[in-house]
Amino acid sequence: MKKAIQRAFAVSLLAGAVAFGVGAHAADVIKIGVAGPMTGGNAAFGEQFWRGAVQAAEDINAAGGVNGKKIELVKADDACEPKQAVAVANRLVDQDKVDAIIGHFCSSSTIPASEIYAEAGKLQITPASTNPKVTERNIPTIFRTCGRDDQQGAVAADFILSTLKAKKIAVIHDKDTYGQGLADAMKASAAKKGAKEVLYEGLTRGEKDFNALATKIKAADADAVYFGGLAAEAGPLVRQLREQGSTAAFISGDGIVDTAFVTAAGGPQFSKGVYMTFGADPRNLPGGKSLVEKFRKAGYEPEGYTLYSYATLQAVTEAMKATKSTDGATLAKWLKGHTVNTVMGPKAWDAKGDLKVSDYVMYQWDDKGGYAELKK
Amino acid sequence: MLPAAPLHSRIDVLASLREALLAFVLALVVFGPVSGLMLSGYKVEPHWLRPLLLAAVVAAGRFAIHLLGQTPAGRRMVARNQARVHGGVTVAALGQSPNRARLLLVFVLLGAFVIPFLPWLPVPDALAALGGKYWLSNLILALIYVLLGLGLNIVVGLAGLLDLGFVAFYAVGAYFLALGAQYLGIGFWTALVCAPLLAACCGAVLGFPVLRMHGDYLAIVTLGFGEIIRLVLNNWLEFTGGPNGAPVPPPTLFGLEFTRTARQGGTPIHEFLGIEYNTNLKLVFTYLVLLVVVILMVRLLTRLRQIPMGRAWEALREDEIACRSLGINHVVVKLTAFMMGAMTGGLAGVFFATYQGFVNPTSFTFFESALILAIVVLGGLGSTVGVIIAALVLTLLPELLREFADFRVLAFGLLMVLMMIWRPRGLIRPQRPAFAPPQEVAR
Amino acid sequence: MDWHILAQQLVNGLTLGSIYGLIAIGYTMVYGIIGMINFAHGDVYMVSAYLTAIAIAVLTGFGIDSAPFAIVITLALTMFITGVYGWSIERVAYRPLRGSTRLAPLISAIGISLVLQNYVQLSQGAKPQGVPTLVSGTVRLGTETNFVQMTYIQILIVVVSFAAMAALTWIIRSTSLGRQCRATQQDRKMAAILGIDTDRIISTVFVIGAAMAAIAGVLVTLNYGSFDFFIGFVTGIKAFTAAVLGGIGSLPGAMLGGILLGLFESLFSGFVNTDYKDVFSFALLVLVLIFRPSGLLGRPEVEKV
Repeated sequence: MKKAIQRAFAVSLLAGAVAFGVGAHAADVIKIGVAGPMTGGNAAFGEQFWRGAVQAAEDINAAGGVNGKKIELVKADDACEPKQAVAVANRLVDQDKVDAIIGHFCSSSTIPASEIYAEAGKLQITPASTNPKVTERNIPTIFRTCGRDDQQGAVAADFILSTLKAKKIAVIHDKDTYGQGLADAMKASAAKKGAKEVLYEGLTRGEKDFNALATKIKAADADAVYFGGLAAEAGPLVRQLREQGSTAAFISGDGIVDTAFVTAAGGPQFSKGVYMTFGADPRNLPGGKSLVEKFRKAGYEPEGYTLYSYATLQAVTEAMKATKSTDGATLAKWLKGHTVNTVMGPKAWDAKGDLKVSDYVMYQWDDKGGYAELKK
Repeated sequence: MLPAAPLHSRIDVLASLREALLAFVLALVVFGPVSGLMLSGYKVEPHWLRPLLLAAVVAAGRFAIHLLGQTPAGRRMVARNQARVHGGVTVAALGQSPNRARLLLVFVLLGAFVIPFLPWLPVPDALAALGGKYWLSNLILALIYVLLGLGLNIVVGLAGLLDLGFVAFYAVGAYFLALGAQYLGIGFWTALVCAPLLAACCGAVLGFPVLRMHGDYLAIVTLGFGEIIRLVLNNWLEFTGGPNGAPVPPPTLFGLEFTRTARQGGTPIHEFLGIEYNTNLKLVFTYLVLLVVVILMVRLLTRLRQIPMGRAWEALREDEIACRSLGINHVVVKLTAFMMGAMTGGLAGVFFATYQGFVNPTSFTFFESALILAIVVLGGLGSTVGVIIAALVLTLLPELLREFADFRVLAFGLLMVLMMIWRPRGLIRPQRPAFAPPQEVAR
Repeated sequence: MDWHILAQQLVNGLTLGSIYGLIAIGYTMVYGIIGMINFAHGDVYMVSAYLTAIAIAVLTGFGIDSAPFAIVITLALTMFITGVYGWSIERVAYRPLRGSTRLAPLISAIGISLVLQNYVQLSQGAKPQGVPTLVSGTVRLGTETNFVQMTYIQILIVVVSFAAMAALTWIIRSTSLGRQCRATQQDRKMAAILGIDTDRIISTVFVIGAAMAAIAGVLVTLNYGSFDFFIGFVTGIKAFTAAVLGGIGSLPGAMLGGILLGLFESLFSGFVNTDYKDVFSFALLVLVLIFRPSGLLGRPEVEKV
């Protein structure tokens, strides 16, 4: 009996030693999880996350890494399903033992996953989840490098009412966390300014026939259509509106910042003139120019959230360099007190983890299938 | 049908090559355009290597299968498979189940109870990881699917009613906990008791009008119901939170909480017990409760199959007309099966809401129903052990396949097809429990 | 209510319904002959949308820009390749399961559906794709501001679906192939004994179903100009609902179910609420089935003892 106990003790000691060995090896690198929809309907955004983070990790490692350690990225796929988000979050924390997380994309994934990161005391920065709820739940270790839907909605409402001077606004959303959140935010800030929408409807994601809705918008005689949703639905909707002879202004959010919007609309003749809100385009910032060239040389156009993801990794590593730590609480405290110079310009965060300055501006699609910032 | 060739005919390699060539050409037609010409804007970029590679793989596979089919060993394999395909349900031998099986059962149960405590036990790291956060949460998810599989198994496997909207009851259970906590302040334990009852009522309400329908019409109506529930949950923003979902409070045990700090006015359990805080505690608790519920459910199902009601389910599945002629009220019998299934689904929903800490309608799509159905069919319609194994396989497999990242779902779909070809009756051949009339009656 | 709005919604519904009907034909034919729900059918339609865009891109690459010519070639190519898809899927995933449990092919079909979606996503990317506008132009009735309109493509969709339905009904009723189909449907074993190659007939039905999906794919792609790898599921469920609504197994029923579903959706969305449009269509289906358990044009099932 005694011998058995001794043996068990020896085995466990050995196991501990092995574990320590592995741990010592793992400490040579800093692991960062990149979580997003790598498969499924939003896989294009997952790719943007990954491309941006990979480029950032390459550049940081080439410049000597962080505190003498190299950055290693771990790809995590949640397919924008909350169930999978919980699974990958547990995996990142428990199996991959990452030091910080960039992600997730969909707010409905970010919210349940953030509980797990918070329990584990890991820093999480999402480059894209704009739903207000993400940072409104008293979790100290969550940040975002994008704006919030309510900020975005306010910019859009202001534009529609002051610049376009629209009288009859139709508000359409895609019944999803992002789309409906955005549409509601814009509706609320328009209501504050005393404007009431003539139509408020939700369409079904994945469908392509919105003719009935287009007729309805036309029948309501709307002169501005605000759409909260993604390119796959915005494209057909705008096309069918135009086909039915409606000339109402079409305004949407950062969900259509993707050349796929033009393809989905059936060409620039339909997509031209469409307005959208988006952060100041990093591709136009002085710091971003050379980086964009680097991406383009590799045959990839750094659209949408690519540079957000790049900037996010910069923020994470800057905090790690400054604090010489990977502990979530320490990093969070530092980030809330300092300004980080990223490829997207200087960024600073408030106590909730939101950006202090939201830089939403209006863009307009042109007749060649490109978009440009709208001059005031 | 198999050609009646003599067993010792020569192996015709040329014929196999011909078949392989044919397969190659077909595969080129199928894979050529979609994988060889990638759309980019309104132009295409050629990727010639991809279809050639795919077609080569297909041709090689076809060649190997055809060649194998000509060898005596291959033919025997095909014949054995055919026999398995056409076999039906068997009746178990009367009497005690063999001791070996009981021993195995005890070991499995013991193992299942020990898993969450592995990190605290002196065991090798690889084993301890099984009780770690990641695998433990996967095991919880797997057990939830075991429950769902068991529930749907009653409806599809035993009563033979094809239900494609089972996820509706799952959603009812999950949302009952989330919304109940929000509006009525109920907790995990109340939901655990009430949610199954509510789900069963929903099952009765939905089931009653549609149970007159036959096979596939029933399938599409249940599918419709499943979609209706999901759409209502998604659209009714004021009540359910719409696509934003609703938060679910963490479970408690007699007022003890499993979070780092008390959030619901109780005491955190680690302070109560005087141990260090561990993020695993909540998972360990959920896992243990779930495990007990699953075991009780399995026991209940085993007993149900032996009482007249359970026997009537299976009889109705085999021959409805005969049953009705014998005076079985088919609507009541079907309804009980439907309600029992719904109840189990609701139970699973409560655990799912607890596991995720958040519910929203995207968790209750048709794909989920299809996955549960796949579990039941793969497990062998009507076989409890089979369903449990299939649920574990189908939920843990995608996690294991995570290494393949992009190809995960593709591989999952392929496996579903291959499994059906290899074992269309499921992993475990269902056995009906034997029934021995009491001695007095027999005499 | 203005008459032109109502009329426009009816036109919208008719177009949408014709598309549902075209896809529903594939479901109904396969169900009719082997009694299985071919869940992969929607994804075959999705593949055909991609094939359409690829064909058009290649054709414009060769400098062919005459719209009618391009459309005819695209249609022929897409129907051929999609037909091969239908044949291969039946051969690989369903034929080995013939004679096993009723649910095995259903699961296999769900598997194929997953495979097709992910195969397309992996090879073509997840972004929505589109085709340039080949045909533009509309027929408008009414005044400058109050009019009812139908694009040329929409007219084409309605005409082609009715023509396809009529042609298939004629084939099933009056040709030798149709008789063999019906015999196989009635009693597969007996048909085989009488010298009908039932495997070949079933394959043919799958090819025809896939070809119908291809027609729908080409027309829809030309009409909406955009698609992604997920359209198969969304439209597939609707088309299947249409097939059941009309009475599964009946060709005119599929068309009727499709048109009815399209009209109801369009009217409900136009005059009541877009959010609850799908709830309404499924509720309608449930109601119809409660009062007419075999659908609108389906023959009531005879219980054989």
